[in-house]
Amino acid sequence: MHRIFLILAVATSLAPKGLCQSGPTITLAGEPYVYKEWESFTEESTHGGLINDHIFFLEADGDSLWIGTEGGLVLYENGKWKSWTEEDGLPWKVVMGLAKDPRTGELWLALFGEGIARFSGGHFEHFTQMNSGLLNDVVYGVDIQGDNVWVATTAGISRYNQVTGEWAVFNEKHAPMEEVWTYNVDAAEDRVYFAVWGGGILEWDVKTQVWTDYVDPDGEMEIDLYRDDGLVHVITTSASYIDNVLWAGTYFGLSRYDRRNWRGYMDIDSGLPSNFINLAVGRNGTSCYSCTDKGLGVLVDFETDTWVTYKQDTEDAETWTAHVMVGNQEIKTMSTNLDLPNHFTICVEFMGDDVWIGTGHGLARGIGNGYYDGLRGKGSSAGSFKGPTNPK
Amino acid sequence: MLFGQQAKDRVYVGERVCRQCHHLSGNRNQFNPWRLSKHALAYATLSKPEAKEIAELSGIDVDPHESPICLGCHTTAYNVEAWERDDSFHAEDGVQCELCHGPGSEYTDADIMRDPEKARQAGLLKPEERDCMVCHKEKGSHIAVLDVRKFDYKEALKEITHPGLDGPLYPVTQPPAGPLTGPEYVGVLACDECHGEASAGRIYGKWRTSKHAQAYAILSTERAREIRSEMGISGNPQKSDRCLECHTTIAGESAGRFTESFDPAQGVQCESCHVPKSESGAEAAVPDSVTTAEAGIHDVEKEICIRCHIKGIHGHTFDFETMWPMIDHTKWGEEYTRLEYKTPFNLAVTKNGRRLFVACEASGSLIVVNPKTEEIITEVEIGTQPHFVYLSPDETRAYVSNRGSDDVSIIDTETYQVLSTITVGDEPHEMATNEEGTILYVANAGTYDVSVVDLVKGAEIKRLAASRGPWGVARSPDGQFIYVSNNLPRFGEFRTPAMSEVTVIETERSIIKHRYTVPAANLLQGIDIAPNGEFALVTLIRTKNLVPMTRNLQGWIITNGIGILWKDGRIDQLLLDELSDFFADPTDIVFSKNGRYAFVSGGGVQEIAMIDIKKMKQILENAPEIQREEVLPNHLGISMEYILTRIPVGQSPRGMAVSPDNRYLYVADALDDAISVIDIKKRKRIKVIDLGGPKEITQARYGERIFHSAQYTFERQFSCHSCHPDGHIDGLVYDIEPDGLGINPVDNRTLRGINDTAPFKWKGTNPTLKRQCGPRLAAFFTRIDPFIPEQSAALDRYIITITRPPNRYRTGNELTPAQRRGKRIFERMYDNSGNLIPLTNRCNHCHAPPYYTNREVFDVGTNSWLDTHSGFDVPHLNNIYASPPYLHDGRAQSLDEIWTVYNPDDTHGLTNDLTKDQLNDLIEYLKTL
Repeated sequence: MHRIFLILAVATSLAPKGLCQSGPTITLAGEPYVYKEWESFTEESTHGGLINDHIFFLEADGDSLWIGTEGGLVLYENGKWKSWTEEDGLPWKVVMGLAKDPRTGELWLALFGEGIARFSGGHFEHFTQMNSGLLNDVVYGVDIQGDNVWVATTAGISRYNQVTGEWAVFNEKHAPMEEVWTYNVDAAEDRVYFAVWGGGILEWDVKTQVWTDYVDPDGEMEIDLYRDDGLVHVITTSASYIDNVLWAGTYFGLSRYDRRNWRGYMDIDSGLPSNFINLAVGRNGTSCYSCTDKGLGVLVDFETDTWVTYKQDTEDAETWTAHVMVGNQEIKTMSTNLDLPNHFTICVEFMGDDVWIGTGHGLARGIGNGYYDGLRGKGSSAGSFKGPTNPK
Repeated sequence: MLFGQQAKDRVYVGERVCRQCHHLSGNRNQFNPWRLSKHALAYATLSKPEAKEIAELSGIDVDPHESPICLGCHTTAYNVEAWERDDSFHAEDGVQCELCHGPGSEYTDADIMRDPEKARQAGLLKPEERDCMVCHKEKGSHIAVLDVRKFDYKEALKEITHPGLDGPLYPVTQPPAGPLTGPEYVGVLACDECHGEASAGRIYGKWRTSKHAQAYAILSTERAREIRSEMGISGNPQKSDRCLECHTTIAGESAGRFTESFDPAQGVQCESCHVPKSESGAEAAVPDSVTTAEAGIHDVEKEICIRCHIKGIHGHTFDFETMWPMIDHTKWGEEYTRLEYKTPFNLAVTKNGRRLFVACEASGSLIVVNPKTEEIITEVEIGTQPHFVYLSPDETRAYVSNRGSDDVSIIDTETYQVLSTITVGDEPHEMATNEEGTILYVANAGTYDVSVVDLVKGAEIKRLAASRGPWGVARSPDGQFIYVSNNLPRFGEFRTPAMSEVTVIETERSIIKHRYTVPAANLLQGIDIAPNGEFALVTLIRTKNLVPMTRNLQGWIITNGIGILWKDGRIDQLLLDELSDFFADPTDIVFSKNGRYAFVSGGGVQEIAMIDIKKMKQILENAPEIQREEVLPNHLGISMEYILTRIPVGQSPRGMAVSPDNRYLYVADALDDAISVIDIKKRKRIKVIDLGGPKEITQARYGERIFHSAQYTFERQFSCHSCHPDGHIDGLVYDIEPDGLGINPVDNRTLRGINDTAPFKWKGTNPTLKRQCGPRLAAFFTRIDPFIPEQSAALDRYIITITRPPNRYRTGNELTPAQRRGKRIFERMYDNSGNLIPLTNRCNHCHAPPYYTNREVFDVGTNSWLDTHSGFDVPHLNNIYASPPYLHDGRAQSLDEIWTVYNPDDTHGLTNDLTKDQLNDLIEYLKTL
């Protein structure tokens, strides 16, 4: 699989830049909201409050934010920082994923190399492949559905029932998994989705208890041969399910699936700053935030293919720039005060109108004063949609 | 194909299929000897009154016919799923061929049976002595009730010998089916469907143990052949119409009058005397004699009997009046009954002080009593082992937790009707509602969680993880929080002090808010919160389990105290003990209405400690930090300063309640079946309310009192109950013997249903409980005079009656897919590569059903640098999920760790070939045992 990834990387870099750029002039159908005001936090700027700058996961908890870092667990609450390391009982410092159980109020932690932990009432309880039925200690993600804790591990999927105590295992023997390396999990009331590295997306139907797998119809082709025929690639890194829409992040672009039609996005034909997506999170059924190695790509409005991309335009840029785009056409740029030194974006989380991003060097909060979904003035004099942005 | 050895699932076919070839004279006459053996009667004997007593002495509180333990040795294929039994299989046939020889579906074919190797591969087993001994090893329960002689394997083998080699094969001839010409004979097993039930008096069992049931098989004996000759009959008596006329039911009837269920080899069956079942259907209820007669079933009269019991036949006389009672199957003779005590555990008082609601564990009832007049207003049957009672804020409902049936009963406090029952977690203990009375929080000691019950919906809506063994529940005066004490300590590092928890739930969202750690303490049970909300008090003990038990002469094995949990999370500890008079087993704690006092019930000392709250606070406030942290928790003399008095009450005081006018304290004296009434002002017991239990004190009850009393230990430090709350475990590892500091640590094991799992001790050196709890107890635990024989016998009698709760992971005989896969691993003979696993490395070799122990000592490679020996008693696995930690020294905190961590060389079963999901499956199955 790694071989395929290399070939694909070369192939995409050689693809003609303007391959899909023909078509009429594009104008905005409406004004997207742009986060221009940001608060940035690093270990240095917070005087150690943020104990590590490698931010792996964010989980909003009301007005508070749980932060999983390479150096421990952090809570940002009422403007104050609180952290837990192994000295405080945290079983392992590398926190790759977090999930707040809405029913019990407990926080579940995915610990890279050390299983999972339940943080409850200030106390950590540790579950590993040695002391429990957890399939593997290399855990990438965790999420909650009903009584079940779903765990994405390098060896497959584990499910822990908090009431019965049963650990179920899903790997190549128990689920349609061509690969078992599971990168990410997103649980909703009716479905649970998994991003399987090399295995596409797995869907668990809660009611029927049946698995469905979604893979790239092009197989392991290095390019997306037929547009919108399915998942853009099987090397998936994230799944996000909201408003009956699945958003799937891959190392080769973003996919959207509304349970009827697929839609694929790549950097050459969309506002994605890069195809290398660490995490894609849907804000709703028409908007998705993609954390890439080259900044944050926000599909603001699915219908009009309107994007706002936040990134450092140059390596030495002191602040990030917001690029308002329709498809891959840049309409305008707007400066922001986001000054994190690294735009390798790893995670994103929403808190009311605000948005939080975690990067390879720090954490930032986009202040959503006056935030609105979609496009303002869409369909009015604010602009009109002139033509298709993704000619086929 | 899993594990390579099993192409098809094997199914039990029953003796009837085996009989087709093994019911012939000569070397193939296996059926008749079996039919005349005790094996064939094994199931039927469970109907005998003695079986109930044996069950009681085995900690089994269900009908023996429903107990997996009893059925494990009294029938065949009891622990398999329904699909694993063919239609031809009948459990009523007791210990049949396939219990010893394995399920027969794949080897019953004659061609396979002719080839021993083929038969072996198809699952035919040749039992060895060890297989027989799984059931025939001495059982204390059976010895106590039956006049059993010691099992001699060689002699027993002679009794059941049934060589089966060679000889001709003939299919057995059944009466051919034909057109129905009248009422049909359906056979005894059809009758058994109704008349085998307990409600029908277990008629089938009575018949099966009679000579009527053996009438056919007995024709195979030498004596039968002699009689045959005397009567001038030639040939096989079992084929002689003259013999069969009175030795079976079918003789002389036309072939068309038999259904497929009819089996002539069952002998003289119901229909010999009661005429064939009518086509009207005897499966219909036969409620009275008129209906019975209309259905063609008539009462038996002498004339029917003497048709066969002809005077002088075979040298026998027949006196109807004498013989009739012997086969009277309307009753089994004197039924074994157990004296039913009340055993009040907890109580609640109404706001007007006129009614006390008392949850009584032994009688399974809720007693309502007027504390002033002492009149018992009513007694309501509730569930199994009611533990706690809680009144709704408006007092229209009483909630009772039933720890034996895992539910909460809701009772109308006016009509005293049980309105509904809500299923919660395992072993529910104490409860409390939110202020509005809409949410009920139930501490489930067995599943280590708290059920959140929506009382409006009438259903549990979620579970919150507690720590281990949540027990006591109290609501803060402001209604914001629910405090839950945890009986067992958290899992911790091997051989480190116990760390226990008080779990705090926020009521607004019903989520866990805090988990307060109470260091070096365990058995946190009673909990209450000061009326002003300033702090909570929780009962606790401080067990010094890491030093040899000999240290109790220094007063330092178990100290007993309270924890003080301040609002800011700070925790203090104070002891209730006095220097030479401890306060064993603090169980419940309640505040007086004005908050000036708190009362602690001392379950082991039959006293109530009265705490002066003001003085208690002064002690803590005036003490330097280091003293609060390190000195006061162990200060044996400090109790003199803050405990006003100890008030004597009855046997094993448990729950308490203060009257609304703050004048009286009511105490449930569990083993007196009474309520003590204490005048708070006078500080003494002023009366005792009798709850109406039996006045006779049985040996078991006497033993129960000993078990819960600390008077037998040095300075009353602790009781048996201190380490075995609810007859179970305290989750600790002990250094018991004076063999060096820290040497030979042993995990505390449950006492539930253990009588027939001897030997005892992890070393397996104590053959009986009497020895385990007799002189040894004094030598290592109590350090005072040992029990006198009468006490020792009583204690033993009580312990063996402690029941094992029903297995919560198994519903009937159906297994989940994971459990089913795990069962195959448990019983596997081949590893994942298809290699034969050595016998001693298979799970079910040592862990043989029904107790899942072969009761031997075995070295599984788990001895450590602290052990002086390597062989350990093979533990039974029934309800194994309920007694972590595991292994002899408790180093494995979960079942998983037994194999993931502590079996590196496959010395504890071959498991390292298993994938993680296979190990999970195995564990899921183990939980069902």
